[in-house]
Amino acid sequence: MVDALQEAHRILVERGVFVDARPDSRVSARVRAGSARGRVIGTIGSQRPTKTDDRLSDKAIANVLGRRLFRSRRRGRLWHAIPFEDSDELNDYLKDHLRFSKRVRWLAPAARRRTTPLFVERAVRFEILEKA
Amino acid sequence: MFPGGLGFLRPPAEIELRAYGLDLRGLRVADIGSGEGRLALGAARDAASVLALDPDRGALARGRSEAKRQGVSNVKFSEGAAQSLRLPDASFDVVIFSWTL
Repeated sequence: MVDALQEAHRILVERGVFVDARPDSRVSARVRAGSARGRVIGTIGSQRPTKTDDRLSDKAIANVLGRRLFRSRRRGRLWHAIPFEDSDELNDYLKDHLRFSKRVRWLAPAARRRTTPLFVERAVRFEILEKA
Repeated sequence: MFPGGLGFLRPPAEIELRAYGLDLRGLRVADIGSGEGRLALGAARDAASVLALDPDRGALARGRSEAKRQGVSNVKFSEGAAQSLRLPDASFDVVIFSWTL
């Protein structure tokens, strides 16, 4: 990971901008009912290997900041909603997902068998760095 | 299974790029780990040129087709890995790793 960041540094002009954006495994995804702004009826965590990978990525960023290859300009988070027809479709999706946990933590038992649309809202965090 | 295909699993480029708050007008942008070029094609609306780099040839081919379909001519799709970029020093104003690290 540090190798890739060093390469990004090399191909950037002086004061060029580097963007790192990734799903935020520190924040559970929210399952919303009916619409992307509907009531939260469940949450989905991240798999342990994903959290480990993300910590390694964080360390790589900290490494290049510590070596003053880059300086941090700004960081933030955005939310992205993924639509599903119902809970069956969501469960099928989670079976093969590499980052999300395999199952939803439903906040109410009835939510487990939803036959109406669901939206999984996941956090994406980003950091803007400047070549030092 | 998903409306709009797998691209639906990631934020639309315009939303992600707006969140970054960068003015890409006239800049040379490298999207490293571009996949099918979701973000690269979005960045191409403002940037002078965009390099979309990914090790997946299939994804790059789909990206080229999509660029052609959209009439985008300032994106170059190229095979490569983030760890060893065969690119000259100081050749880009912006480098993006989206879902890459």
